[in-house]
This record gives sequence, C-alpha cells and structure tokens, in this order.
Amino acid sequence: MNSLSEYFHTDWQAMTTNDWIGTILTVVIFLLMVVAYFQVFRPKNRERLEARKYIPFEEDNAFSGDKDGGK
Amino acid sequence: MESGLEQKYNFDVVRWFTIMAAVYLVVGAAVGVYIASELAWPFLNFDSPYISFGRLRPVHTNAVIFAFGGSTLMATAFYTVQRTCGVRLWSDKLAWFVFWGWNTVILLAVITLPLGLTESKEYAELEWPIDILIAVVWLSFTFNFIMTIAVRKTSHIYVSNWFFLGMMVMIVYLHVVNSLAIPVGLFKSYSLFSGVQDAMIQWWWGHNAVGFYLTAGFLGIMYYFVPKQAGRPIYSYRLSVIHFWALMFGYVWLGAHHLQYTALPDWTGSLGAAVSIAMIIPSWGGAVNGMMTLSGAWDRLRTDYVLRFLIMALAFYAMSTFEGPVMALKTVNALSHYTDWTIGHVHSGALGWVAGISIGAIYHLMPRLFHTEMFSERLVNFHFWTATIGTVVYIVAMWVSGIMQGLMWRAYDEYGTLAYTFVESVDAMHPYYAMRAIGGAIFLTGAIVMLFNVLMTVRKSAVDGSLVRARHVPAPA
Repeated sequence: MNSLSEYFHTDWQAMTTNDWIGTILTVVIFLLMVVAYFQVFRPKNRERLEARKYIPFEEDNAFSGDKDGGK
Repeated sequence: MESGLEQKYNFDVVRWFTIMAAVYLVVGAAVGVYIASELAWPFLNFDSPYISFGRLRPVHTNAVIFAFGGSTLMATAFYTVQRTCGVRLWSDKLAWFVFWGWNTVILLAVITLPLGLTESKEYAELEWPIDILIAVVWLSFTFNFIMTIAVRKTSHIYVSNWFFLGMMVMIVYLHVVNSLAIPVGLFKSYSLFSGVQDAMIQWWWGHNAVGFYLTAGFLGIMYYFVPKQAGRPIYSYRLSVIHFWALMFGYVWLGAHHLQYTALPDWTGSLGAAVSIAMIIPSWGGAVNGMMTLSGAWDRLRTDYVLRFLIMALAFYAMSTFEGPVMALKTVNALSHYTDWTIGHVHSGALGWVAGISIGAIYHLMPRLFHTEMFSERLVNFHFWTATIGTVVYIVAMWVSGIMQGLMWRAYDEYGTLAYTFVESVDAMHPYYAMRAIGGAIFLTGAIVMLFNVLMTVRKSAVDGSLVRARHVPAPA
C-alpha cells in the first residue's frame, strides 16, 4: 500500500447491483445512527427521555399513592 | 399489590412458561454434561447411534437455546409487555397456542434429533415440517406481542419491549431465510443454498441468533428485571436507546467472522471483524448501564441473591462481548478457530450471561406469580455459587485446552513438518475435557436445586392458598 489514495481507490465501473445496494444501505444506516446519537444526547431531549425510565415503577407507585411516578 | 394484578393480566401462561424454563434448564444441562462426559470418556457412547455425541449435541443446544431460552423469553416478554403497557395480553388464546406450539416443537426436536433426522445446519438442525411450525408459533408470539403494545395504555413503549420486538422481527427474517429448503420427503430436505453461499447464510443466521435471540431478547429481560429487582430505575435511559439502535444496526454484519480463512471473500471476514470490534462500544455501554443502576446501592448485593445473579450475568455479558470481537480478529482467529476456545467463549456467554440473567428473572418472577415467598432463600444463594463456580471451571478448562490445541496444531519442527499428530492433541485434551464435565456437573447441580426450589414454591403457594386468594382480589382499574 503506497498511499492513502491507492488504499481508498475504488473501481466504480466494477460495482454490481448488490454492491450498490450494500453501499447505499451502509451509508444510510450510518447517517441514521448519527441522527440517533444527536437526538439522544441533545441536552434539550434529556429530561423527556430520562423520564421514561420510571415506566416499570408507575404501576407500583399508582398503587402506593405516589402520583409522581417515583421521581 | 401484585395480587390485584392477577385478574387484570394473564399470568397463567407466564407461570407455565416460567416452570417449563426451569424444567428445560435441567434437561438441557443434563444432556450437556452427558455429552461432555462422552468426550472425556468415550465408552459412554455405548456404541449406540442414538446417544452418540453427534446426535445428542444438537439435542443439548436446542434444549438450552430454544427450550430453556425460548421459554424464559416468552415468560418474560409476556410479563414485561403487560406490566409496562398496563394492559392484558391482546389474546389469551393466542398466548396458549404459543405455549403448546413451542412445547410441541421441543418435543419433536427431542424425538427427531436422536433419530438422526437433521438438516445439518448448526442451531437450525430441525427438519422442514418443524421449521414451518416454528415460524407459525414465533409469528403468533410476535403478533400477540405487537397487538398488546398497540392497545397499551401508556404513551411510550418502554425500552425492554423494543429489545423484545427487535428480537422477534429479526428472528422471523433470519429463521425463514436460513431454513429455505427443498423437501425430498417428510423428514429430508436440502438447503436452497449451496457451497460458500450456504456457509454465509448459515453464519448470517448463526451469529445473528446469538445477536438477536441470545443478546437482544435477554437485554429486554435485563432492562426490566434489573431495575425492578434493584428497586431503582435504569441508570441512563438515553444510553439504552443508543444501545438498542447500535445493536440492531450493527449486529447483522458480524456473521462472516465465523468464516475467516475459508472460501469466503477475504473482505467479508475483515468487515465482520471490524464491525465486531465496533460492537464492543454499545455492548459495554449496555453492561455499564445495567451495573450502574446499582450505583449508590451496591450493598444490596450482600443480601439480595437474585440481584447477584443479574449483576453477575452483566459481568459475563461484558466479558464475552469483549472476548468475541477479539476472537473475530484474523490474527487471533488463526489460533482460536476450530479449537475449544470457541466452546469456552460460547459458554461464558451462554452460562454466565444468558442463563444468569434468565435465572435471576425466574427468581424475581416466582414470588410475584405465585404470591408467596420463595421456598428457600438459602437454596437461591447455593444456586448462585454453584452456577458461578461451575461456569468458571467450565470456561477455564476450555480456554486452556483451546489455546493448547491451537498451539499444538500450528507447531512445526526445523524440517517444516507438523510437530504433533492430531491424535496427540486429542490425547492432551483429556484432563480438560474431564474438568469441563465437572464444571458442567456443578452448574447442573444448581439447576436441579432451582427446579426443586421452584416446584416447592408452587406447592407452598397451593398449600397456603395464596394464588387462589389472589385470583379473587378485584382487578385494579
């Protein structure tokens, strides 16, 4: 491997339909993961997302009279 | 409070799946110990084809993965979806169809596999009529689960259900494609794929069965039962969301790492290895998320035996999700592939992670399903130590024998000829095969103790009438 350009060289003419489907899927999934990371770790969404971790206790708290969901 | 839920939810089918899980763990582990003993002391074959290693090995894998693991997943998924959605299962009849259908599949496996009726695909050995039954039962399980979520009373779908649902959807896809075959008789079929394509499809299924069935499904258990048993919410819900999506998008690429140095194109193995390494990040994120749930309450591990199972399972999850990617690297794979190291790795995941989290969930469920305390807390503690020690003895034996095998097979002398014959390497394995059988027997002892404890708890509930009383408590609004 002489250089980075040689390493990353791609013979686009030789790409089959399967190759293109795989490439497009990989790029789309990568972009979706970027969106997921951005949305999940955006400070604005923190409170809304973290509030959901109390769901398994909501039924118990409703019985015990804790209307705040144990928060 | 739990008794008020008895009429609101369908706990009957959960109870039966839970008991059958305890039964199947004993059956699967017993067959495992027997075949491990056959490898150490071959006279145990008794020259009978029906109990030879080749035929009993798929009985063992099917019993532990699909009978024990499947029953645990169905019990916990049906329990969790009801408790987190605030509604009864969409269809009781469909739930019972799943119970009887799944147990029929297991019965057919126990009959056909010792008879040598097999498709010869690893973890997918069952012949085509049983494959169709599996697809129908699994789709019924999935449909009932989805419909229960659809009619839920909560606004959000809790993350456990995401993991369960991810498993269900992917297993339909994987099972159907991998099982495509041309039947030539009622008990014989040939795969639709051949050669290297067949190998690729097989390990696309094989590793994703690990990723989506034995990992995602049991992570669904973890995200509900660890917080519930600890009495505190999961450490980070945001991390659980990233854990889910990274697992769903990442795992499907890994299968080719099972086929390094074969006729498969070289780049597919490299891709499998690269994504395997990348998967350490979400896997460890999930393991840390589960463990940190105990942050500030670690003292609970001193007294809560059930929590010990759950947290120890997470430790094994973290360990095996690091070991697996390392073994996927071509350099390490050159030494580890086809050796007992792989068997050790699989069992650190299977005994440590899958069985550990399942056993913890079963012990959590028993008092809540039968409305009485466990028959014996001391036996739960005894089980914890036998399960942990048995697992460690097993995997240490396989690590040592596997690395020794790899080194013996690649050793050559100054003339370039192999230093050891294959038989010499088999002979060198004997002490470790005996050690493996002993480790398995220790684990089996714990499983038998759990079954006894479970059955005695059922009996206790019947004698003191706690379940009958709970059934007459009015359902909450």
